[in-house]
Amino acid sequence: MAGRVVVVTSGKGGVGKTTTVANIGTGLALRHKKVVMIDADIGLRNLDVVMGLENRIVYDLVDVAEKTCRSINKALIKDKRLSNLFLLPAAQTRNKDAITPDQMIEIVEGLKEEFDYILIDCPAGIERGFNNAVAAATEAIVVTTPEVSAVRDADRIIGLLQEKEIYEPLLVLNRLRPEMVRKGDMMDVDDINDILAIKLLGIVPDDEEIIISTNKGEPAVLNSHSKAGEAFRNIVKRLEGEEVPFMPINGETGLFGKFLKLMHGK
Amino acid sequence: MLLPATSSLRAEELVFKGLKQGLTLFIPEKESFGHWLTLLDQRLNAAKDFFQGGTILVELGERKLTPGELAGLRKILGKYRMRIKDFNPIAKKRFVPRSKEQSPISTGVLLVKGTVRSGQRMENEGDIVVKGDLNPGGEIVATGDIIVLGALRGVAHAGAGGNMQAEIVAFSLSPVQLRIAHLISRAPEGRKGRQGPEVAYIKGEKIVVERL
Repeated sequence: MAGRVVVVTSGKGGVGKTTTVANIGTGLALRHKKVVMIDADIGLRNLDVVMGLENRIVYDLVDVAEKTCRSINKALIKDKRLSNLFLLPAAQTRNKDAITPDQMIEIVEGLKEEFDYILIDCPAGIERGFNNAVAAATEAIVVTTPEVSAVRDADRIIGLLQEKEIYEPLLVLNRLRPEMVRKGDMMDVDDINDILAIKLLGIVPDDEEIIISTNKGEPAVLNSHSKAGEAFRNIVKRLEGEEVPFMPINGETGLFGKFLKLMHGK
Repeated sequence: MLLPATSSLRAEELVFKGLKQGLTLFIPEKESFGHWLTLLDQRLNAAKDFFQGGTILVELGERKLTPGELAGLRKILGKYRMRIKDFNPIAKKRFVPRSKEQSPISTGVLLVKGTVRSGQRMENEGDIVVKGDLNPGGEIVATGDIIVLGALRGVAHAGAGGNMQAEIVAFSLSPVQLRIAHLISRAPEGRKGRQGPEVAYIKGEKIVVERL
């Protein structure tokens, strides 16, 4: 069976694409799926750092595209914790023009047979890098934060994904701060759902643990005490088709009711 | 002075030209509008007998007129007993459906199936009906009416080309900007969209919004 090819994208930079890829990839691997994460952010690679695998890179995505390395397996880096999780890193010294959408499709086709999931970390923006990252994908996860600018860019991206014939992207709402929403200082889930109107895959609360785990190179999903980690574990389950209720953030029943409504409403 | 056969939208000089649609006055985009009005006055005065009492089309290119400028133009033309038939006849020709998602349900009406998202732009010579929302950052331009069967949160331009009778209707109206014919308006700061359908149209020289 051919694996699922999922691109994680956002339009805007700094909303948590790479963190999302690292956590979903690790989460899926914890459930014994064979997963490869491709960093398509050539020139600004981060996924290796977030995964703590920076010092193991020998070959990268551009080497594979240009066939500098003998086989793609030479470029795949095995995770230091999970043996069924792999990373195909981006080149750091090149730029987005170093590969073409066709090369990307060829690379992904070669991986499809062997892996259950191929997660592609898309660069910010809507130019060449985006086109490369999306070319091979058949599914998409759109990441946004509760800010007007991020939501606007997410909307743009959903339109562009439709042009690439990815019609039902899933939404991850990152860095929600429940106490600010409660005070009316932050866009709430309903506001965002009103505009974007795509299926919600998960809500990740703003969590200091994420910064700590990113700096340590250890995805939060591995940490059973992290709220964000728990949110990502739920996201992984939903991605696998399980029905998981949205978790109450800070145990506030009003919000929980809203999440339930969202979950069952649409 | 005549324009080349493949006349672009940007005229360099104030010029009258006989087009298929009728006699057309080209007003260049550069310089102030007042500058061209003065020139127009002189030009018409010099050829009074020729222009006396006709109707003309006016091609403005990308230029948008303020109500004052429009009144000025009307006044000068009125002096020579001329009337404006329509605006931007050439620009109108450019309104063609583009995306495969659009299908004309009858001549002149464009049905957009789904939401117009940020960065997307729909144009039509005639009316446009959107079966979904118009999101912030999205644009709809029609020479006729615009109907949004959802929330209108982006930029809508009805009556593009000069039709002052055009209307914009939405089930929930909270636009970034509304344009009808040559008029532009934006919602007052902090206005939240009222519940229920509303209609925008021109009353006097202003765009007004009313409950439908």
